[in-house]
Amino acid sequence: MTAHAYAGRTAIAGIGATEFTKFSGRSELQLALEACVAALDDAGLEPKRVSGLTTFTMESNPENEVMRGLGITELTHFSRVHHGGGAPAGIVQLAAMAVNEGVSDYVLCYRAFNERSGRRFGSGVQDQPAGASAEQAQFSWTSPYGLLTPASWIAMFASRMMHEHGVTSEDFGRVAVTCRAHAATNPKAHFYNRPITLDDHQSSRFICEPLRLLDCCQESDGGQAILVTSLERARDLRQPPGVIAAAAQGMGDDQQMMRSWFRESLMGLPEMAVCARQLWETSGLGPNDIATAVLYDHFSPFVLPQLEEFGFCAPGEAKDFIRSGEIALDGRLPVNTHGGQLGEAYIHGMNGIAEAVRQVRGTAVNQVAGADSGHVLVTGGTGVPTSALILSNDR
Amino acid sequence: MSEPEASTAMRNADDPFLARLQEAVGRPGPVNVARDPVNQPMIRHWADIIDDANPCYVDPDAAALSVHGGIVAPPTMLDVWDKAGVQMRRDGASPVGAVIDVLDAAGFTSTLATNSDLEMTRYLRPGEVLESVARLESVSPEKHTAIGRGHFVTWRTDYATVEGEHVGSVLFRMLKFAPGTGRVDGPSAAGAHGAGAAPPPDPDPSRRPRPAINADNQFFWDGARAHELRIQECNACGALHFPPSPRCRDCGSFSMGFRVASGRGTLYAWAVPHHPQVNGFRYPVLTGLVELEEGTRLVANLVAMAREHIRIGMPLELCWLDSHPALEPGAIDSRGPITLPQFRPVRPARCESTRSVTELEVGDELALCPIPVSATLIVGGALMTRDYFDVHHDRDLAQRRGSRDIFMNIHTSLGLSQRYLSDCLGPETVFRDIRVRLGVPNHPGDTMTMSGAITALDRATGEISVSFRGTNETGDHVTGTAALVLPGGSEHDAIRAASAAAHAEREARS
Ligand SMILES: [Zn+2]
Repeated sequence: MTAHAYAGRTAIAGIGATEFTKFSGRSELQLALEACVAALDDAGLEPKRVSGLTTFTMESNPENEVMRGLGITELTHFSRVHHGGGAPAGIVQLAAMAVNEGVSDYVLCYRAFNERSGRRFGSGVQDQPAGASAEQAQFSWTSPYGLLTPASWIAMFASRMMHEHGVTSEDFGRVAVTCRAHAATNPKAHFYNRPITLDDHQSSRFICEPLRLLDCCQESDGGQAILVTSLERARDLRQPPGVIAAAAQGMGDDQQMMRSWFRESLMGLPEMAVCARQLWETSGLGPNDIATAVLYDHFSPFVLPQLEEFGFCAPGEAKDFIRSGEIALDGRLPVNTHGGQLGEAYIHGMNGIAEAVRQVRGTAVNQVAGADSGHVLVTGGTGVPTSALILSNDR
Repeated sequence: MSEPEASTAMRNADDPFLARLQEAVGRPGPVNVARDPVNQPMIRHWADIIDDANPCYVDPDAAALSVHGGIVAPPTMLDVWDKAGVQMRRDGASPVGAVIDVLDAAGFTSTLATNSDLEMTRYLRPGEVLESVARLESVSPEKHTAIGRGHFVTWRTDYATVEGEHVGSVLFRMLKFAPGTGRVDGPSAAGAHGAGAAPPPDPDPSRRPRPAINADNQFFWDGARAHELRIQECNACGALHFPPSPRCRDCGSFSMGFRVASGRGTLYAWAVPHHPQVNGFRYPVLTGLVELEEGTRLVANLVAMAREHIRIGMPLELCWLDSHPALEPGAIDSRGPITLPQFRPVRPARCESTRSVTELEVGDELALCPIPVSATLIVGGALMTRDYFDVHHDRDLAQRRGSRDIFMNIHTSLGLSQRYLSDCLGPETVFRDIRVRLGVPNHPGDTMTMSGAITALDRATGEISVSFRGTNETGDHVTGTAALVLPGGSEHDAIRAASAAAHAEREARS
């Protein structure tokens, strides 16, 4: 597989976010605009230079309102990616393609919501509207039985993982403890200064067995925006470019929305394997080239198969990799140095891309040695059609 | 029962009623001679209703070759043989009868058996005539229980043959309570939700989310309404698919039919939601990913089992929940009646060759066994154990006494427990004792699922201890322990030798 045309020729030139809270006290549209303005300020770019917007299909803020609010007078590209938290690297890839094709010079990728104070995803799908589209019909196989929330869908995988790979609840707990340790030193994290112990994890209540409360990411209010442009233009802006070395989307065989339970095996994440293969083949990089990774952690169990699908360890051995401390700051692959969605905030993975940018710039609060001269991996939502990317420093 | 004597005496001093109740404690009653000898017809009726196929009770040839050397009575029938008939004539000289009369007169007219501990010196053989002596062990001060205010009455009955050979004893405890004095909520409801907590969701299944029914999955939901589990099958290549699709991914055909599943499968993965709690479910909800024997999987609720029974790989069988009535007459889409597949544990095959103690370990679990509770089982079980209390056979009277329906008597629970253990371990499992305690009632329509484990084991003698429980949807109906003897150790051989000697003696006498 040859490199994607945009790879190495496009870059993230600005990142911007609101504060991450449990109650923003303002509209989702305002959060989106604040995040976009912050990303533009970070890059030192006039809003009206932006001519493209990409976001999630789940985003409530339409492109025209964001455009109006930013004072943009012309848009030449606007597109969205479906499937919830699987989208973040996907919308950056869309932006990079639009830039590289010459469709837009500067594209803002944004995601903003009051996911905690407004409609909470964790409250489940019991209020699904009546109707029987193919998308709604998917829920028929699970909702009438009480599997109504993302936690409940991940729990089904987790029980099988424990049975087949000998993973334990403590292993899931080690992921949460690591992310919370990283969040504890990140002033922007909701759980700043609030690390947890494995005992805390083990004594937290069940949300959906085998998942405990501390296996589940936060529910957050906030917004995050990412400015994508060509590497050439990025070099003229205020910040060192985060070069898009590779990006990918992936769906796997017999894909379902977080409920791919009808495949031959429930082990691994075939959709993430599709991303991993593209990233490695198009960039010529491999697991040993990655200084640090932001692995999607809406629920701790799915951090494990991501380590395996990207080849950081062999299938079934992620639990050993984690037990020996390799995902901590002093481990072989520090993971979620900002605290992840378990520790910093749940902004549908977009805050993870911002963290990767800080790592390649060398400005992260938990800076990993070598990241600013190497490569950082970011993944999108797990168990769903997903995406991933690799950022590199411009040297 | 475990209260220090001194404090009991002190309370009695200012409680003349209790003092009167406790007057006869320790005094033996008259000798009660069974009206009929141990006999094959009653054993056969008991084995029929308990659904116990152990040949030692009914098959002379198989029984002759067994450890017992001939037909024996099921050990939990020990206290059936001397029971009074339907007239329930009570001997006024009996201290137990006298206490019950006093309690009845004081308004404690309802009866609930709570414990029965049976000890068997040896198994009984047809033709033997038993006599018994009951001794009042204790009467408790007034207790406020979930079902009402009352007194626990405990007595011990010793059994012997009329020739004078001691064969066993039963420690029996019942609650005599005043009807209508119980808590409105059952004990489980009171325990799970303390004051100030949000009320639990309404578990009525008609409040569950309805499936979205469309042209692609209509066949599945139509089948469910007919209690038929349909798997999509490609009419062209025969491939099975779940979830269904309009087009066969294997051969490309748009011609899709279905095959009716056998309903047998195994558990592939599970999830147990606790939060958030929504209407339509009783939390925690047991859900499983079931791999059907045809090869496809589907999600369903796991029923007739408790959280701790869930094991990946466990065999399961299909049953149905008619969950939602139609919202519109005649509708067959999402507004029509909804029926959901559910899966329950499979009754394990009866162990025909008794397990040797050498192949067992402490901690070994006994297979789950669901027992459907029908009115026939409750009524038949009560009558076959000569228990004519109306709450076990007359729904109107049971409801007038505050019960939702008739409920199972303790002897049937004992019999089912005994069947469970010998079906798991084999027909020549010899019971030394079995002790049960009753919890929530078993009503018609319930499914009681038995589970158990080996808690102690002596390889030299072959003696083992087991604990077991029978659980229905509302909680534990029966919990208990049993001391058993299995082949592979010295005791089983000794019992075989003693049985042979007893038979030889009987032959010689006749
Ligand atoms: Zn086909």
